[in-house]
Amino acid sequence: MRTKEELLAELARCVVEMEDDSVADVAREYAEAGHDPKEGILNGLIIGMNQAADLYDQEEYYIPELLICSAAMYNGLDVLKPLLPQEKQENEQKIVIGVVQGDTHDIGKNLVKIMLEAAGFTMIDLGRDVPVERFVDAVRAENPQVVALSTLMSTSMQNMGRVVQLLEEAGLRQQVKIIIGGGPVSTAFARKIGADGYSVNATDAVHLVRELLGA
Amino acid sequence: MKQTAKERLFAAAKSQPFDRPPCICPGGMMNMMFQEIMEQSGCPWPAAHVEPEKMAGLAKALYQAGGFENYGLPYCMTVEAEALGAKVNMGDLLCEPHVVESPLADCGEWQSLPQLSLESGRIPCVLQALRLLSAGNEEVPLIGNLTGPVSLAGTLVDMDKLLKAMRKMPETAHAFLDFVAEQLIRYGNAMLEAGADAICISEPSGTGELLGPRYFRDYTIPYLNRVMDALSAPVKIIHICGRMQNVYELLEQLHCDIFSFDAVVPIKEIRPYLKGKAAMGNISTLTLNETTAERVQAQARHALRSGVDVLAPACGLPTTTPLSIVQAMVSAAREEEACQS
Repeated sequence: MRTKEELLAELARCVVEMEDDSVADVAREYAEAGHDPKEGILNGLIIGMNQAADLYDQEEYYIPELLICSAAMYNGLDVLKPLLPQEKQENEQKIVIGVVQGDTHDIGKNLVKIMLEAAGFTMIDLGRDVPVERFVDAVRAENPQVVALSTLMSTSMQNMGRVVQLLEEAGLRQQVKIIIGGGPVSTAFARKIGADGYSVNATDAVHLVRELLGA
Repeated sequence: MKQTAKERLFAAAKSQPFDRPPCICPGGMMNMMFQEIMEQSGCPWPAAHVEPEKMAGLAKALYQAGGFENYGLPYCMTVEAEALGAKVNMGDLLCEPHVVESPLADCGEWQSLPQLSLESGRIPCVLQALRLLSAGNEEVPLIGNLTGPVSLAGTLVDMDKLLKAMRKMPETAHAFLDFVAEQLIRYGNAMLEAGADAICISEPSGTGELLGPRYFRDYTIPYLNRVMDALSAPVKIIHICGRMQNVYELLEQLHCDIFSFDAVVPIKEIRPYLKGKAAMGNISTLTLNETTAERVQAQARHALRSGVDVLAPACGLPTTTPLSIVQAMVSAAREEEACQS
C-alpha cells in the first residue's frame, strides 16, 4: 500500500504528466485510505497543475499540454471535491469571467479560469458570447472582487469597454477590479477603456489578480 | 513606371520591382471593414455578408474612398464552417459573424460532416460577389480568403478538443485536418474560378504561440501547404497570428508568396526568416482605431523601413476604425519612393 506522501506525489505527477485517464483511480485510492481530501487537492492535484504552469512559462508545454493537464486535474477534483466538508469558505474571493459578446473563442478564458481556480479563487464562469449586461447582473448577484473579460476578435473588443461603462453606470465599478485578455487587446487598450489590468496569458493572470487584490 | 494596384501587389509578391509598396488588407479574418464605410456605402453588415451585390458594393466603396488597395472577401471567417454544419450568429453592424454552435462533439466524429458543397450556406454569395468584382477589373487585386485548416477544424469541434486530440489522438486529428484541407481546396478553387487573383489563408488558432513548435510543424504547416499547393492562385498569402519567436525557424517551410504577421512580432527580427517571401504587416489595429493620421503614417514608414514589403494592418480592424486613418495609412505607402529592387 502506498503512503499518503506517495499518493500525493502520484496525484501531482498524473496532472503534470497528462495522465488524465489514471488520475481518478489514484484519487480514489487516496480517498479510500481515509486521507484528507482537501490536502489531496491542494498538495496533490494543484501542485501538479502549478508544475504544468511552470513548464508552460518555460515553453516546455503549450496549450495542448496545459489542456490535458487541466483535464487530469478536473478528473481528480471530481473524485475529491464531493468529499470536502460543506463549510462556507472564509475570505472567499470570487471572480466573474467570460468571453464578451461577439466571440465564441474560449480557450484563453478557460485556461485563465483553470489557473485562477488552481490559485484558490472561486470562479463564476459566464461562458462565451456573453451579453455585456450579464456581466453587470453577475457583479450585482455574486459580489465578486474581480471581473475578467476575454476576446480574440477585434470586432468584439469594444464590448469590453461597454462592460466597464455599464458597471460605472450601475454604480458597481468601484467594488470590482476589471482585467482583460485576448489576442487583439493590450495594456494600452485596458487603460483606454478604464480596466484595471491586462494579462498576456493564464499564468500571468494569476499574478495580475494577486497584485490587484494586494493578496 | 506607374503600376496598377494589381500589378504592384503581384510584383511585391514575386520579388519583382514595384513603383512603391502596396497597402492592402486582405479581408476574411483580417477584417478590412468599419462602420463609417458601411454607412456611407449603404452596404452595411450583416446584409453585406449575405447579399452578393452588397458584399461587392462594400468592397468597391472602400476602394473608391481611398481605402486599402485591394478587394477582399468575405468579411468574416465563418463561411466554410457554416457550409460544414456550424451554426453562425450573423452579428450586426459592428460585430462580425461568429460560430455559436459546432457540429461536432468530438474530433472522432469528423466523418459525419458533409462534403462542402459550393451551393451551401453563403458560399454562392461569396462566389457571386467575386464574379461581380472581377468583371472588367484590370486594376484592383481581388483576394479570396480562406480560414486556416487548424482554425476551421477548431470551430467545427471545440478548439480545446482539437488541441487535446493533437497530442492524444494524432491519427484522428490528422484524418480530420486532412478532410478539412480537402474542403478548403474545393472552395479555394471555386474562388479562383470566380475571379480571385490571390488567396489569403489566415490561421488565428493554429499559431506557434498556442500550439508550440512541435504541433505547429506537425499540424499547422502541412495542412496550410496542402491547401496552397493545390490552388493555382497567382498570389498566395498566409497570415498567422500571435507571437512567433518559437517557430521562426519553421517559417521557411511555408508555401506562400507573402507572409503576414501580428503586431507583437518585431519586423527586423522575423525578416531574416522570410527569405524568398514578401513580408506583410504589421500596423497595430489598436493604433489604427485610436491614433492620429500623423502617427499612423509614422508607424507605416517605420514598418516599411524595417523590412515590410506589403503594408497592411497586423490583424482585423475594429469596426470603429475611422476612414481618415485608413486613408492616412494608404497615403503613407503612396508617398514612398520608387523601390529599385
